[in-house]
Amino acid sequence: MSTVTLGGVEAGAPEAAVPTRLPLLDEGSRAWLRDLRADGPAREEALARLHALLVRAARFEVARRRVTLTYLRGDELDDIALEAADDALMSVLRRLDDFRGQSRFSTWVYKFALLEAAVKLRKRAWQGREIPLETATWEVFASTRLSPVDEVEQGALLDAVREEIATTLTPHQRRVLLSLAVDGVPIDLLAERLGSNRGALYKTLHDARRKLRASLAERGLELPKET
Amino acid sequence: MEPRDPTTILRRLLGPADPEVGCDTCFAELDRFVDLELAGEDADATIPGLRAHLDGCPACREEHESLLALASERPSSL
Repeated sequence: MSTVTLGGVEAGAPEAAVPTRLPLLDEGSRAWLRDLRADGPAREEALARLHALLVRAARFEVARRRVTLTYLRGDELDDIALEAADDALMSVLRRLDDFRGQSRFSTWVYKFALLEAAVKLRKRAWQGREIPLETATWEVFASTRLSPVDEVEQGALLDAVREEIATTLTPHQRRVLLSLAVDGVPIDLLAERLGSNRGALYKTLHDARRKLRASLAERGLELPKET
Repeated sequence: MEPRDPTTILRRLLGPADPEVGCDTCFAELDRFVDLELAGEDADATIPGLRAHLDGCPACREEHESLLALASERPSSL
């Protein structure tokens, strides 16, 4: 059993810190915290209710993704959901003091189960698949031919992006960018392979994108706001 | 390589233009963001940079979509 951690490195981009608001806990949230911090039967009953909430969320995530996991039997999928709920329970209990009542307690706990289930399911979806080597990805990407319409609309920008990826980025940035943005490798899977975590890898991706945008702007290429 | 049209490839390579939070802040704030959305409040103004992150991070985007769908199954009240 291992719980998911996103890591401790932020993309660090927002100009302003996220404003905090500390409302009073609503009655339902107070009851949850009181019961989960209690001893004896009240805590046991609260733990059972909390686990049921987490199982609901994990099964919800499995149901959303099952069309992409048709090779897994129903009981295998439910095992994944139950394992995700168990892992999420540990995360929730470990971080109970982090809950400040800025959302409903149920919404707060759901996100832990959804994360655990999503990460497990992404890994299962890629199980047995090789993560493409950067060189192979690059060769395909660099030689991609555009349709005549795309050539007119995007050709110059795409050519410049290819050049800047090759010359401006570090090898690590290039590998992370191509794996995530071109190959579509799930970030948690790539993080695991590279001995990293989601937060750190996204920071690398963010830095690579920012470097690319700056280089393209220096060339005088206009980037649409929603590229 | 995933089959993608040039526009999609460029979007994924260049990411969001606006300032964004990282994955850790996104996870820390996701429940508040979703409950604000469900309550009809201005989640983007309250938590700047989170929407841009969802545009740039497929994993966090999927988890936001799931949490929004799941949390909306019950009456929304903060």
